[in-house]
Amino acid sequence: MDTQKTEQITFRVRRYDPEKGTNPHFQEFTVPSGRGMTVLDGLIYIKENLDSTIAFRTSCRMAICGSCGMLINNYPHLACHTQIEEFHSNRLTLKPLPNFPVIKDLVVDLIPFFEIHKSIKPYVLRNDSEEMENPTAEFGQSHQALESFLQFTYCIKCGICISACPTSASDKLFHGPQALAQCYRYCADNRDAGEPERFPVVGTDHGVWHCHLAGACSESCPKGVDPALAIQLLKRRLVSRTLGLGKKEPPASIAPQPAQAKPKLPFPEFTVKQS
Amino acid sequence: MRQIRPRPNYLGVGGWVWAGNYKLERYLYILHRVTGLGILLFLLVHLIVTTFFRIQGQAVWDSAMRFLSNPFFKTGEYLVAVAFVFHALNGLRLILQELGFLMAKPIPPIYPYSDSLRKKRPWTMAIIGIIMVLCLVFFYDFIVGGW
Amino acid sequence: MRRYTYLWLMQMVTGVLIAVLLGIHMVMQHLEDILRFFGVNLNDPASWNSMIERSRQAIWAGIYIALLAVVLYHALNGLRNVILELTPSARTERVVTRAILAFGIIVFAWASYVPIALLSR
Repeated sequence: MDTQKTEQITFRVRRYDPEKGTNPHFQEFTVPSGRGMTVLDGLIYIKENLDSTIAFRTSCRMAICGSCGMLINNYPHLACHTQIEEFHSNRLTLKPLPNFPVIKDLVVDLIPFFEIHKSIKPYVLRNDSEEMENPTAEFGQSHQALESFLQFTYCIKCGICISACPTSASDKLFHGPQALAQCYRYCADNRDAGEPERFPVVGTDHGVWHCHLAGACSESCPKGVDPALAIQLLKRRLVSRTLGLGKKEPPASIAPQPAQAKPKLPFPEFTVKQS
Repeated sequence: MRQIRPRPNYLGVGGWVWAGNYKLERYLYILHRVTGLGILLFLLVHLIVTTFFRIQGQAVWDSAMRFLSNPFFKTGEYLVAVAFVFHALNGLRLILQELGFLMAKPIPPIYPYSDSLRKKRPWTMAIIGIIMVLCLVFFYDFIVGGW
Repeated sequence: MRRYTYLWLMQMVTGVLIAVLLGIHMVMQHLEDILRFFGVNLNDPASWNSMIERSRQAIWAGIYIALLAVVLYHALNGLRNVILELTPSARTERVVTRAILAFGIIVFAWASYVPIALLSR
């Protein structure tokens, strides 16, 4: 296989410049691409060689920061995580993520998204403030307890699930699969006691109950977080709390200290003699 | 610096139907919604027929039945029966899955990722199979006119 | 939070009830051949005589009123959910909810009066 072979790929990018006041329009660029080149590599090539006014977000280039979400051939992907070769076409259409306001070109406004994420209190809430302020030891959490919510902690807050969700497309007040899945991640965490604070926020018409299990969020999630599963488990929790079914377990307490203290290692000698 | 107002970018109702190449469950969701609204429209007409026409006596009822035994209306009734079968069985699947019963357990994600709806796809296909069988049964009764 | 949870739970419960009651209604109205195979003989349920005979029995009036109640709740709540997914303004939401509630009560009152009135005719 000739790894040096390059093809000319047409990138059709949706341009929109608010300062020029024009309507959004498509602009085509021709990018030489080879094996292993991602869409983000193509965009950087455009910015460096063809048109330096193109705007897009990028940071880690390895699918962990969640900056480069965009619509590639009508499906939301992370640009750094998507090979040009996987489309089997020499024509790619790039548009900004839908269901978010567009600032410029491929850059969308994520501030409302983060505000909704903050509104579900994405941190561990407990009633014993003394232990939270001055921790003495770790909280006890078994491996099984961790596995029950570990999958949902991998969220990188890229916003792709909200672009895929059909409810988010029309309902501007819907919290979105990301916030609801993170609400479940904190409610299912056995260290947390914050259900009474979070449930009135998500248990409303424009919260959990407008999710109708289209499953597009889980299908498009680039990290396999499966927000649809988290939302259905959240519904189950809401129903069982409202009906009073099921045992309500108290939040995890401090793990007991081991009976035999491990011997302390001696402090190593300074390598630089102090005068 | 001049404040830039971001341009709204919602897909709107179009985003319910044509938003990209998604898999089966998204289209089952939109079909559930369409069949529900269709049955609601049929219900209003059906209530008018069975209340106003029934209470006015035999002549009105029989002429209404003759009017409605037109093949056009028979096909419409068959479509409503199909819509009801789909909505009911898909609804049963949704009740089970929305309460977490037919969904997979959370496991740490290992590439290639498979979401829990895809893992339970055999159940969805079984329910669609039952829907097809019932559609055939109703087809024989409505269109072919019985055995 | 409890109010919305109960609304959704009632949607599910009425859904299951409809699947049963409407299933009986469908089978009775349309699948006479299958029923005849099982030995139950109904003579052409849509004809006037069969319908009048059924409307004199209290059990059928009861079933029809129950079916009407669950169907109206399920359908109008579903319609309300679809409409609320399109309108973010709180005032529109209140107006829509009240309109649907009024419509539902009027339709239920009229359409349950008819089987009861026909019971005695």
